[in-house]
Amino acid sequence: MAARRLLLASLVLSCSLLPCYGAVLFSSLQRTLAVTASPTSGQVLKGGVDKITVTWGLNQTLPAGTGSTYKTIKVKLCYAPTSQVDRAWRKTVDSIKKDRTCQHEIVARPYNSANKTSQSLEWTVERDVPTATYFIRAYAYNADESEVAYGQTTDAYKTTSLFQVESITGRHMTMDICSICFSVFSVVSLLVFFYIEKRKSKRSQ
Amino acid sequence: MEIEGQATVKESQPPKFALPVDSEHKATEFRLFSVAAPHMRAFHLSWVSFFACFVSSFAAPPLLPIIRDNLNLTASDIGNAGIASVSGAVFARVAMGTACDLFGPRLASASLILLTAPAVYFTSIASSSTSFLLVRFFTGFSLATFVSTQFWMSSMFSAPVVGTANGVAGGWGNLGGGATQLIMPLVFGLIRDIGAIKFTAWRIAFFIPALFQTLSAFALLIFGKDLPDGNFRRLHKAGDKTKDKFSNVFYHGITNYRGWILALSYGYCFGVELTIDNIVAEYFYDRFDLKLHTAGMIAASFGLANIVSRPGGGMISDAVGKRFGMRGRLWALWVVQTLGGVFCIILGRVGSLGASIVVMIVFSLFCQAACGLTFGVVPFVSRRSLGLISGMTGGGGNVGAVLTQLIFFKGSKYSKETGIMLMGIMIIFCTLPICFIYFPQWGGMFCGPSSTKIATEEDYYLSEWNSEEKEKGLHLSSLKFADNSRSERGRKKDSETRPVDETPSTQV
Repeated sequence: MAARRLLLASLVLSCSLLPCYGAVLFSSLQRTLAVTASPTSGQVLKGGVDKITVTWGLNQTLPAGTGSTYKTIKVKLCYAPTSQVDRAWRKTVDSIKKDRTCQHEIVARPYNSANKTSQSLEWTVERDVPTATYFIRAYAYNADESEVAYGQTTDAYKTTSLFQVESITGRHMTMDICSICFSVFSVVSLLVFFYIEKRKSKRSQ
Repeated sequence: MEIEGQATVKESQPPKFALPVDSEHKATEFRLFSVAAPHMRAFHLSWVSFFACFVSSFAAPPLLPIIRDNLNLTASDIGNAGIASVSGAVFARVAMGTACDLFGPRLASASLILLTAPAVYFTSIASSSTSFLLVRFFTGFSLATFVSTQFWMSSMFSAPVVGTANGVAGGWGNLGGGATQLIMPLVFGLIRDIGAIKFTAWRIAFFIPALFQTLSAFALLIFGKDLPDGNFRRLHKAGDKTKDKFSNVFYHGITNYRGWILALSYGYCFGVELTIDNIVAEYFYDRFDLKLHTAGMIAASFGLANIVSRPGGGMISDAVGKRFGMRGRLWALWVVQTLGGVFCIILGRVGSLGASIVVMIVFSLFCQAACGLTFGVVPFVSRRSLGLISGMTGGGGNVGAVLTQLIFFKGSKYSKETGIMLMGIMIIFCTLPICFIYFPQWGGMFCGPSSTKIATEEDYYLSEWNSEEKEKGLHLSSLKFADNSRSERGRKKDSETRPVDETPSTQV
């Protein structure tokens, strides 16, 4: 009896000591990274043409040893709240796995905790980035590929330092011309058929 | 010795058909793998062109995850475009019905297809939510070719097989709504792999459905024939077919209450099918976090069930009609459509991916079979205004689609799951009016044929013509149809009572 109780207790204890593999919540992350980007507040960038210079690194005012578990840093382009309205496919959710705020990855770099200098990158806004308002966020990942910390260019309410991207239309002159030509051809061919029909029925009389 | 006699016999012999025909030259058999003119050829031409229209009308939904980013659409914009895509056809279908009565299905459908093809070409150059809504609206008009398909099949095939012919033609056309969910992501993927970027690849992809639509219209015009005996225009000029007046056709169509009941109930089998075509890809993509390609495949399986489900509905209608007559057809329709509603409710409630897929497929089988069963009843509602009744019913289908999308799937009011469940409840309610359909000569769901006065098929169909018109002989084709439709009494009744024709039987 006592042995069974002991077994049960040790099982429960060992289970609670197991590392938690559940989803990481954004609210549990600490904001330890300092991220800055070149676009000024309200600036409009053109997709495929303009460049963004992003700089990221550990916040130097924090105590030593803060970034010791960080192995990778991923910098992402994220939607601002105005671009999430009435668009459930860009919704912000606390569980990072289900979160759809940051859908465009700018860069992923390994992190060396010994090296104190910040890293930076000049990134051309890709041509598949849609027209919207954005900010930039960096996530720090540990050796298990889970998020452990973050940093972003805007404040906690995502209202400051937001910039806009104007995407490419995807249209080309050739495409426009083809569309118009084929459309005209469809309508004209119908009229030609009518004319032929009329001639045939007149002839058969 | 001159063999004159033989020559004269050859001239007066009626044209020979590849299939056995009745007195109206409508085929009494349906041979799927034949392309014999005019019956089976008409069948293949009509379902392929209708398929093309469905592919074009629902080409946008599977690519919405890309389009919504390119054109900066909100959920409301997408909902509105979805409603627009099915609302154009509401009136287009009624108009098409009348056009078929007056000009013949071949010209009517080919004209519509060629006039809506530009909308599909212009989808490639859409640049805002407004232009996107407009192109989807005008492309949706092409769904009116459904009416010409059903009209054409009802003109080419006789009562024992009309349900099957209508069901297979309608079903294989509706297949386009499913096939497009597979085709468009595939074409998009191919074009992107060749080197185009996402926002250009989807635009180029739209040329495929547009070209398909244009070519199918050409095939219709070149190879099709309105009636077994020839085209409307030539028959009109030769005096073999009487030209009817629009006002008469219209009056006799809209005053027939059965047309209105069927229009409502069709809104909740076919309308629901259109709604699901519009929302299901995005539903699976967003709810279960699937890839575009995978969501497209699952969404496709809903529409692809049409390959057997709608024809199955038509065949069930014919089989039940043979044994139990029109009463059997009505019962079968009510039972199958109500079960469709039940499965729709279940679909809205299940939460796992596997269960959702299974329930969706079962739901699609019942929903689409109900569509086939509806058009097992429609050919018998009116003979004079067959086109208009088909058009009203078809239009009613689109009204159902507009209503369900407006009430349950616009913006962010209900989650998609809740919307689906509520739609199921509405299906069950809107199927109840079928209980009120009554034919004096055959009965309804709960009442037998009229016993207070002797009601015959001739009485019913000839009531659409007044005495002046009868004197001119305009009612003769209705008379032939009445005779051919006697099989709707069911097996037992048919052998008991066979009334004597008022006019001498016409030997053609």
